[in-house]
Amino acid sequence: MSRSFRIYAKKRGDRRTGSGALAGLGEAIFFGLFFLGGCAGLIAILATLILPQWRVNNEFVETTCVVRAKELGKSQGENGWVYRPEITIDYLVDGRQRRATTYDICHALPSDCKAQQAALERFEVGSQYRCWYDPLELGRVALVRGYSGWTWLLLVIPISFMLIGGGGFVYRAWHWGKSAEHRAATGTGPIKLRANHGNGSGQAALPTIPPSGNMSNSPGTMLRFRLPVSRSATLGLLVLIVVCVLWNLVAVFFVVDVVNRFMEGRPNWVETAVVVPLALVGLLLIYAAFRQLLIATGIGPTLVEISDHPLYPDGKYEVFLSQAGRLRLHSIELLLVGTEEVRYRQGTDTRTESRCVHRTSLFRRDGFEIYGGTPFEVRCPLEVPSGIMHSFKSESNAVSWSLVVDGRVAGWPDYRRSFPVVIYPNGTERADYE
Amino acid sequence: MNEPLVVIRFDGNGRVYGPGEILSGEYRLESIAFGQIRAVELSVLWYTEGKGDEDMAVHEFQRLAADDGDWIDPNRPGRFSVALPNSPLSYDGAILKIRWCVRVRVFPRKGKQVVGQRVFALGTVQPVESVAS
Repeated sequence: MSRSFRIYAKKRGDRRTGSGALAGLGEAIFFGLFFLGGCAGLIAILATLILPQWRVNNEFVETTCVVRAKELGKSQGENGWVYRPEITIDYLVDGRQRRATTYDICHALPSDCKAQQAALERFEVGSQYRCWYDPLELGRVALVRGYSGWTWLLLVIPISFMLIGGGGFVYRAWHWGKSAEHRAATGTGPIKLRANHGNGSGQAALPTIPPSGNMSNSPGTMLRFRLPVSRSATLGLLVLIVVCVLWNLVAVFFVVDVVNRFMEGRPNWVETAVVVPLALVGLLLIYAAFRQLLIATGIGPTLVEISDHPLYPDGKYEVFLSQAGRLRLHSIELLLVGTEEVRYRQGTDTRTESRCVHRTSLFRRDGFEIYGGTPFEVRCPLEVPSGIMHSFKSESNAVSWSLVVDGRVAGWPDYRRSFPVVIYPNGTERADYE
Repeated sequence: MNEPLVVIRFDGNGRVYGPGEILSGEYRLESIAFGQIRAVELSVLWYTEGKGDEDMAVHEFQRLAADDGDWIDPNRPGRFSVALPNSPLSYDGAILKIRWCVRVRVFPRKGKQVVGQRVFALGTVQPVESVAS
């Protein structure tokens, strides 16, 4: 065979099989059942818990009773023993005495023995108390009334089922039979759920252009705007540190166990075989995190300012670069870099891929030193080439631009710092977005 | 009988348009009998191609539905005229391409939908290939 044969490969794109219509029908049925299940749950809770409690509080007739006996009832529930006060009372209905064993109207069976015992202790045998009986069913009587807090919490479950099921069903029904273009054109469906992504000042005139506010809300000291550094680098470092700490915490636990077993003369070779690669990965993570931390903190701050923003093809700008720290540099270079970024689903996985499609060097200097207290500073022109693609962002695809500072430091890891910029389409008037 | 077909033509046979220009033309429905059309949809849209999942957005959408009282005569061409937006421009990249097109979708009373599409270019962005980062 001229290519490797993959035994297992998840389908993507056009190779996915199945009927869209059947899938839509299945979804509608699924959400419909979810909704009906929520309705059934809501009715059950209303009928068995809320309505009886409401009737006790509003329709039951108050009378007096005498406690004749009391005990803590106990029975086997699904998850262990459950308890309930069982109080035998004599009470009067229209002058006639009746007897019943009761406590509350819901017959709840909690597993908290102490709480139920405390509730039982509130009633003394032979003492008189208030009670409430059902005028429609005289044998039905309760010693306590009010609403239990957990009943309202229970309502969250069926209501969430109804919201999810109902919302999904309405959404699917709304889009039933519509073409992809019709769905895309109507966008928000029956309920406006999508927030207005425009900045309200003309951003809608340039759909799919990323907002440029973040890059031009910080004034520079030498030029008009100071560009923020890419957040992805900082976020990446934080994620790496968290993963490193968590991984090594787990690895240390197992390594200690393995070492103890060896020292006791009863090694577990299976556990050792698993723990050794675990520990090696942990060491690699420590090295990677330490290296990134060194780059982030050991190399001084890099500042980039620009004379105007956003940028346009054919536009001419000035860029100011400042690099602080005490460094001996093999080289430092400032570049304009364009990158395509795509995201795609392969089966249940989501993968991302990026490709550099433009790289222009704006400035480069080789073999020099930066002394502590005196940052290296330089100004250089930036001419955005004509005919290049503007910044673009959609759900799964993007074209992004940045000014990148590449530094090669003697005795230190190389570093790269990115400062995102936005390039608007050629020929667009500035008033379109202001 | 021939297979139903949708033919789309741009005025002036234009293929490259600038942002804000008017895109106009007509579409004809061939081999479709009168009274057999339930609805016709015309869309001016962009979509992505390449390694990433397809994204799509509709700039202009028109729907004629016989059930809503719209007159649909397959013997008479339908006209369209749309002011094109400023973005996104058509783009031919390394792993991402952005295409603009006019798409006409016919919903017959019986049988499968018939779709016709004609691609055009918005803007004059130069094609690119990947470079070393």
